[in-house]
Amino acid sequence: MLGELLHILAAAAVSWILFVTVDILFKLPEAGGVSGASAIARDIEAGGGALSGGTMMGNIVCSPDASAGTLLAACGVYVAGIPGGLVAAALVFIGNRICHDPGYAGTTGAVLATFVVYGFTQVGFAATDFIAGMVIAILTIQGLSHAHASRLLARLWRVRE
Amino acid sequence: MIAIYIVAAIAVFAVVRATVEKNTGRKLPYVNVMNFAVAGAVVLLIGHPLALVAAAAYFVGSTLEANAIASTYAGGERRG
Repeated sequence: MLGELLHILAAAAVSWILFVTVDILFKLPEAGGVSGASAIARDIEAGGGALSGGTMMGNIVCSPDASAGTLLAACGVYVAGIPGGLVAAALVFIGNRICHDPGYAGTTGAVLATFVVYGFTQVGFAATDFIAGMVIAILTIQGLSHAHASRLLARLWRVRE
Repeated sequence: MIAIYIVAAIAVFAVVRATVEKNTGRKLPYVNVMNFAVAGAVVLLIGHPLALVAAAAYFVGSTLEANAIASTYAGGERRG
């Protein structure tokens, strides 16, 4: 039980690094993809956060990004191995188009996550560790402190710029 | 299998945070966490290949709803 918990926490760290890196490489903090993402960013900034980090959080809310890609890819690998992960990537691609998102962060994240999760299943991890790990990872960004999370994302975004 | 309990606990936590938060713009990220947790729970509980399609359909649908609520809250798209 303790071993599984440690695996989940390690999977959370790997998922966190993966989706934040892909999202920042795809410039999610730069501009809101839809007006709603910008509105969320303004409210987060008004609550003591940073605008660019809030914009990335708004974009995560409004369209499946690399975090959603990582979650669904982990789900896909769990139910059907690498083909399942690639099907998840296709579903994320469709989801992006439905949500009026011109970007490819979600699809890229899902494809990358498929191979990362599959790789970790070869060294003793379970795909379920990554499902729970990704939920923990998104909790740290969207669910604990918007002010702190947005400031951290803004700092990482400045490094990218 | 501890994963499902973690995911369920996070879903409940996110619902409580979303309920307590008054500001719509800051409420939606909490709802987003709940959507992640529910999509994960669907696959963890069912474990069938088609559960992936169900989770993706739920997730994309709920994201689209959040997108619509946020964009309406922002005043909608200006045309013309």
